[in-house]
Amino acid sequence: MALSGTRRRAAYLFVVPAFLLYSVFVVYPLFTGLTYSMFEWKGTLRSTFIGLSNYSHLFTEAFRNELLSALGHNFLLLAGTILVQNTLGLAFAVALFAVRRGKRALQTMFALPYLVNPLVIGYLWTLLLSPTFGPVNSLLRSAGLESLAMPWLGDPKSALLTVILINTWQWVGFPMLLFSAALGGIPPEFNEAARTDGASSWKVFWHITLPLLRPAMATVTILSFIGSMNAFALIYALGGSNGAPAGSTDVLGLLFYRTAFASGDVNAIGTSSALAVFMFAFIFGSTLVLQRVLRSRS
Amino acid sequence: MTQSKAIWVKVLLWGYAAFSMSPLVVMLISSLRPTAEIFDKPLGLPTRPSLANYSKAWTEASFSTYVVNSVVVVVAAVLLGAAVSLLAAYPLGRYVFRGRSLFTAYFIGGMTLPAHLGVLPLFYLLQSMGLVDSRLGLVLVYAAGSIPFNVFVLTAFFHQLSDELDEAASLDGAGMFSTFWHIMMPLVRPAIATIVVFQFVPIWNDFFYPLVLMRDESKLTLPVGLTHFFGEFQNDWGTLFAGLVMTTIPLVVLFVLATRQIVAGLTAGMNR
Amino acid sequence: MRRLAGLAAAALLCVTAACAPSNSNDSSSSSSGSKVTLSVWGWGPAENYQKMFDQYEKENPNVHIEARSFTAATEYDTILSTGLAGDSGPDLAWLRPGAQLQPLVEAGRLTPLTTEQVPGLKDFDKNVLRAATGDKDGKVYGVPFAVQTLQVVYNKKIFADNGIQPPKTWADMTAAADKLKANKIIPFAFGGKDDWVLPIAASIFGTSQWGGDAFLADVKAKKKKFTDPAFVAGIDELNKLKPYFPDNVAGVSYTDAQILFSSGKAAMYPGGLWELGFFGKNAPNVELGVFTPPAPAGGEGLLPGFTDGSYGVSAKSKHQAEALKFESWLATKQYGQLYTDTLEQLSAVPGVEPKDPLLKQVSTTFGEHGAAYFMNEFAYGNPSSQTVFSKALQEMLLGRITAQEAAARLDKSVATWL
Repeated sequence: MALSGTRRRAAYLFVVPAFLLYSVFVVYPLFTGLTYSMFEWKGTLRSTFIGLSNYSHLFTEAFRNELLSALGHNFLLLAGTILVQNTLGLAFAVALFAVRRGKRALQTMFALPYLVNPLVIGYLWTLLLSPTFGPVNSLLRSAGLESLAMPWLGDPKSALLTVILINTWQWVGFPMLLFSAALGGIPPEFNEAARTDGASSWKVFWHITLPLLRPAMATVTILSFIGSMNAFALIYALGGSNGAPAGSTDVLGLLFYRTAFASGDVNAIGTSSALAVFMFAFIFGSTLVLQRVLRSRS
Repeated sequence: MTQSKAIWVKVLLWGYAAFSMSPLVVMLISSLRPTAEIFDKPLGLPTRPSLANYSKAWTEASFSTYVVNSVVVVVAAVLLGAAVSLLAAYPLGRYVFRGRSLFTAYFIGGMTLPAHLGVLPLFYLLQSMGLVDSRLGLVLVYAAGSIPFNVFVLTAFFHQLSDELDEAASLDGAGMFSTFWHIMMPLVRPAIATIVVFQFVPIWNDFFYPLVLMRDESKLTLPVGLTHFFGEFQNDWGTLFAGLVMTTIPLVVLFVLATRQIVAGLTAGMNR
Repeated sequence: MRRLAGLAAAALLCVTAACAPSNSNDSSSSSSGSKVTLSVWGWGPAENYQKMFDQYEKENPNVHIEARSFTAATEYDTILSTGLAGDSGPDLAWLRPGAQLQPLVEAGRLTPLTTEQVPGLKDFDKNVLRAATGDKDGKVYGVPFAVQTLQVVYNKKIFADNGIQPPKTWADMTAAADKLKANKIIPFAFGGKDDWVLPIAASIFGTSQWGGDAFLADVKAKKKKFTDPAFVAGIDELNKLKPYFPDNVAGVSYTDAQILFSSGKAAMYPGGLWELGFFGKNAPNVELGVFTPPAPAGGEGLLPGFTDGSYGVSAKSKHQAEALKFESWLATKQYGQLYTDTLEQLSAVPGVEPKDPLLKQVSTTFGEHGAAYFMNEFAYGNPSSQTVFSKALQEMLLGRITAQEAAARLDKSVATWL
């Protein structure tokens, strides 16, 4: 509905409180951070203006290697999130749709891990998967799956996959709830009509339900993208600030954390601000593109 | 669906539910065991279950103070964030006016910010406003940080409400605020439940901002208090788990109460 | 220095300072009469520190010291750097050693200390003071309080049950490990999943190989490189000792290793002196002993150690005179003794004799065969050489690269800033 006159002014008035709060406490620090990236820093003291030198430091060999490897892991995390977490979330939503009794109990149990502090989740899973004490490995051994009893989080080959699975465990409730909601919003007539035409349930799902879920999928994908690119807490809790083992779980969030808080570098603020600006530009830009692509299809 | 297939689906669903809950059960069981026992055998049933860890956590970590601070800060931040976001999302989601898409992008862009990005500028900003070591400062930071996600969910929700609603209201001569308050608010209740729960959890669990922005011990929040047990030369896992169970329970209660509302809230958002 | 991976990184200790101001003393005090409160930030348990500071308050009734504790995690550095930059910071603070001190020094957040103001500094060993010194200006910014050493802790009962003595030669050590392994006891409780422990382990077993301080001085003077065969051989000891570590050593976490030792499943634990306090508390039934791994070529081994931290004065403190006076006290033997007796740690103050027999043993060994912990001296750069090398050692333990390649990575990283 288009607005005019007093109503348009009223519309602006509605937006103002959020605009002010958000601009002062979120956007302003971000832009100050942008200016920080143009200076050399001596600890917390701003020193001389150095233009883009901090940015060029990001592309020196030692730093570039870490940056590219971290970015690569962010994308693997994204792929894993979409393939495992979102698919599972959709499967749960569809399966739960038919469940009559205990539906809410199940939904709640699936989503409950989301409530627990990521640092605690990191500790719990490190314990559960520990090669020395972990019950997961003893279970696998007693089930005769000796080859699967391995240091899940301690081997660079399996660590990232394990992280993806734990992340799925924590977050699967999120896409599940979103898809459940979307399924609930599909008018039952659609499915019934198809059913009476004699279509199999798989066909109904594939040709009718799935296309109707597209807007939900677009939303879930965008949120997954943002979540995967900004991943930090769980990965930090599972593999420390260096993305152990051997950097195989290193992501941009950890790299920023190390650069800003753990390097002991005198110019840490300059370098880390440049990295943050780079990350923001990349994530924000990609999100806009993604939004355009996904939303236009739906 | 055939009968046997339906049973299989049920078995799988309940099986996953058990798996999903198991680490939390470990947390609960560990909270009933003394730390020395946990160190001796990290996973096991308590030989003599005891609530000693809980009383220790409650007294030694000044839990009562932290609980009050956490509740005050989180509730205020979530309410403030929800209130301003509701106001903003209403015109952004429903009406066409100049700057609408720009405003929306401006707000939602905040979702892409890396965590802890602006800590230092934020610290200086709060200091210039005299808001370091102030619960109000913490509330404002959290509330502002919650705006992007709130606006993202709420605009979608407002968007799908029928246009006839405001047409009828404007025929009655109701102003925009009156329409918002009397007609829209009751309808968006599920969406409010959704954003409240989704903001409550991360803010409740956050320890970073209070750590950097707060000084006075009597103003600290729960997660910071919890970390008491991870001190330099002491590791007190049993007490820690007890503390964690106590911090998690309010979230579980909130979540269980709100599940139905959440699903309803999301339903609207997903089908515009 | 003690950094628990993961969880503990979130840690914060906050204990209300026990303040017991006695107003009656104010009028009788020699100074201006009003009581001055000095706040001290640190990362150790505040109640223990308050106990020691109470002694100072007794002797200086016009001063009240308020200890405030944060954690050893990286958050402490953020809290301290913002605190010292703003108006809400402390009067005195614990400072990190070496590289991590430099941002505060260069920002001018700290008051430089002179021997006139703090006479006790004269007697400190130059190597100990270096950790509290500005790299560029050479001024001292803190009074060091603790020395940490890196050695092997062992379970006396397991040694006795298996007829093992603390080793006198490298061959003794491996023979003992073989014997333990044959008896189904893990010789060394050690895990490489939390990679910050790896340079520590490398220095415990390797320092004697590369020869301690002389080698580090040569590297700093660019006369030698980390790719030197002596250094490569030193870190390669970790590879050679792998059969005596738990299976899948690179997947074993720091906490796992601690539990292996405290539960008696393993006989030895290579780690820092701070582990004694940890095991004393969490495994009170395990009788502890310590030894320094002997030099592989024969003779006594070198015991690596480092200055853990120091007390510095904020340049913004409104009570400079009182703070400096307190600093002088922190540099006295009286405080050093109080520190070592209260916390069961080695004091950095020269001439302090610990009462605890184990600490005394370590202190004597360190006096005779001490060496600088190499990593703290080379933790500069962004990405930091410490990060680069920890990761390289982890890859080495995983068998993905050789000791030679790991050393080359350290060398390359050090070359970016040296």
